[in-house]
Amino acid sequence: MSENHNECISFPASRQGRHKIPVKCRQRNRFIPAFLIGVAVLSVLSLIYLDIDWPKLFSRVPDIGVVFWQLAHLDVSRMDLVLSSLVETISIAVLSLLYSLLLGIVFGMLAARNVFHVPMLSTLTQSFFTFLRAVPTPVWVLLMLVCLGMGPEAGVAGLCVHTTAFFTKSFAQSFESIPDETIEALEATGTGRLSIFFNAVLPASLSQIVAWAGMRLETNFSECAILGMVGAGGIGYVISNSLQGYDYGTAGIAILLVFLVAYSIERVFVRIKKKFY
Amino acid sequence: MISKKLYTGFLILCVVLFAVCTVLTDFSPMTLFANSDAFWEFITEDFLPPALPKASRIPGVFESVLVTLALAMSATTVAAILAFVVSLFGSEKVSPFPRFAKIVRGFATFLRNIPALVWAFILFSSLGIGTGVGFVALCITSFAFMVRAFVETMEDVSQDCVESLQAVGASFPQRVAQAILPSCLSGFLSWFLYCVEVNIRASTIVGMVGGGGVGLTLFSYIKSFQYDIALSIILLIAVMVIAVDRVTSKLRKEILK
Amino acid sequence: MEPILKFEQVSKHYPNGVHALKNVSFEVHEGEFISVIGPSGSGKSTLLRAINRLIPISAGTVSLEGEAVSGQHGRGLRRLRRKVGMIFQNYNLVYSLSVLQNVLHGRLGYMSGLKGIFGMYSEQDKREALDLLTELGMDQFSYNRASDLSGGQKQRVGIARAIMQNPRLLLCDEPIASLDPSSAKTIMDLLRDLSQRRNIACIVNLHQLDVAMKYSTRIIGLCKGEIVFDGPPAALDEATIEKIYGTSRENLMIGGKLDDAKNTADCA
Repeated sequence: MSENHNECISFPASRQGRHKIPVKCRQRNRFIPAFLIGVAVLSVLSLIYLDIDWPKLFSRVPDIGVVFWQLAHLDVSRMDLVLSSLVETISIAVLSLLYSLLLGIVFGMLAARNVFHVPMLSTLTQSFFTFLRAVPTPVWVLLMLVCLGMGPEAGVAGLCVHTTAFFTKSFAQSFESIPDETIEALEATGTGRLSIFFNAVLPASLSQIVAWAGMRLETNFSECAILGMVGAGGIGYVISNSLQGYDYGTAGIAILLVFLVAYSIERVFVRIKKKFY
Repeated sequence: MISKKLYTGFLILCVVLFAVCTVLTDFSPMTLFANSDAFWEFITEDFLPPALPKASRIPGVFESVLVTLALAMSATTVAAILAFVVSLFGSEKVSPFPRFAKIVRGFATFLRNIPALVWAFILFSSLGIGTGVGFVALCITSFAFMVRAFVETMEDVSQDCVESLQAVGASFPQRVAQAILPSCLSGFLSWFLYCVEVNIRASTIVGMVGGGGVGLTLFSYIKSFQYDIALSIILLIAVMVIAVDRVTSKLRKEILK
Repeated sequence: MEPILKFEQVSKHYPNGVHALKNVSFEVHEGEFISVIGPSGSGKSTLLRAINRLIPISAGTVSLEGEAVSGQHGRGLRRLRRKVGMIFQNYNLVYSLSVLQNVLHGRLGYMSGLKGIFGMYSEQDKREALDLLTELGMDQFSYNRASDLSGGQKQRVGIARAIMQNPRLLLCDEPIASLDPSSAKTIMDLLRDLSQRRNIACIVNLHQLDVAMKYSTRIIGLCKGEIVFDGPPAALDEATIEKIYGTSRENLMIGGKLDDAKNTADCA
């Protein structure tokens, strides 16, 4: 490749037809080919390391068809259970979102550098929440289950950990994007830090907060739907339980409902986005 | 003041939803505070300080981290290759068969809106438990996600130059190689990196229910009430995720340069 | 002499009910430089794209050098398309590739699948492309990324790409609508000179009446998908303009008087 590059510079000589005329850009991102090769090598190594029994896996592929066939035979006999657990799941998702919204605003305020001007506080808050965010939600829910026992409390609390961490980071970003002049102008009038926050910073980032919340609802619902699978209640529990009990009809209808709810949330937000941007 | 009305509406919606959901789930934050003593005791007694697993099992733990990383990496790559091919047929503006574009996108939407863990469970009941199934489950969701992301990138970036190459008389593979790939590659790779980040977390979760890797290790420690060791595994997971996030954000900067 | 392009009773309805072309018929002969004028939404864009089937027509026939375009698929369609060069308002270049690569894209219609996919252009094509870039005064940018160019330069690359096809016919879809007045003049001059020198017939969609008057040998006026005027610029009178744009001349911003068309100001 470097040879090719040199040819670009000795351009007049190449034009006489002794060499191939280069066509590519003089400056191009040489990192991308390297990256592609790196990814390819790493992936092949990973596949070798995982040592998956492909023949066995493929030999069972027809079974997937069978399972889908069975799932497609929707069974409405336990509809009340499915519906009530779906409602529970949605409620947990919404509740955790709302609680996290409040917590996120409070912690986002602490994490934003331009609200209290205490760098130590911001850094501390931010790194703590980076840690919370790095651990997947089901792990938190599992821990909450251990601490609080079964029930919606564990679900809400577990989801809140991750959602609050997410909101803290995004809200802090939104707060920090407020121009410094606005804050300085209010500071000059002797307004207190908290009232600056609630009167200037928060209203200015409200639209972003709403956008983040909407985006997060999608994630929260699908997270919440799987919580049951690690032991909490809700629709996930119904799905995993009926799959393990070979009650495919009920599982099928539960999965279908999860899909429908997730899809409607997505559609609604695509609509809203189109309308407002 | 449309926006003011909007925010008032949003606030009212929040309050109503809050009330309805609280009633429905019978959830009260007070129980959290009421139990807070037991809660703190639990944390301080059982979780803190984090403890190391037995020395003989430490290599196994690191191996399981490697499995999780390998799972995420390979599943994302395979999904990305498939998603690239499929996404070419998922946009009316680019696909040689515009009529089928909707079907392709609909299929991807279906796959995407069912969480990875549900896929894992469906597959477990047909393929049995194991790393291979975790791999397939991760593939399905990231494939579906990338199809959508790639289609959007293509429609944003290369709709115009695809039209011009069509006018030139270039065939479909030529349009892909000469217009779509060069103009969208950096965008595709950026989405790919995002998917790697997501899949690192997802592969931990899929591991917990039987896909292998560090998730399974964590689950077994929790199940056997060794919470202090579980805490160090959680710390390890956090370190892994943060490290991967750091690396991908560096790489993304380089790619988009 | 056989016309290069022939429209016979061509109509186009879009699925959303819009009637973009209604029974349009005309012929294009060698050496003609035709401007198509008309208000936005009058079907100018659809008309151009019907010629190389970027948009399939609903009824009628479009024939290129005696061959019907509508019946063609795959290889045959590619063969017809490469005879027709096209220039776009938004240049439609592949911005991450070099200028030279973009010009060479004009040859893709002539190349076999694999060679085209990997961009293995023949040395002769490359020399031709470089000569063409020199002719357009763009040779020093040959190895720059197309994204680094200014608007006028990008459009020159677009022209070079179309010329590389060795076309019989050049379609220009509002080539100067996104350009500043001086680049617009350069581009229009280039289009006229190149098409004359290489004996390429030209169809240009324009918003600027004065530019159309100055450069074209013939003007076609479109209104709501119908041809309401077809004739030399001199025959275009006030009443016809009013018919095309649906408003009197005083309400149009066309840059200078009708007979004083020296000013090529961009007034789209």
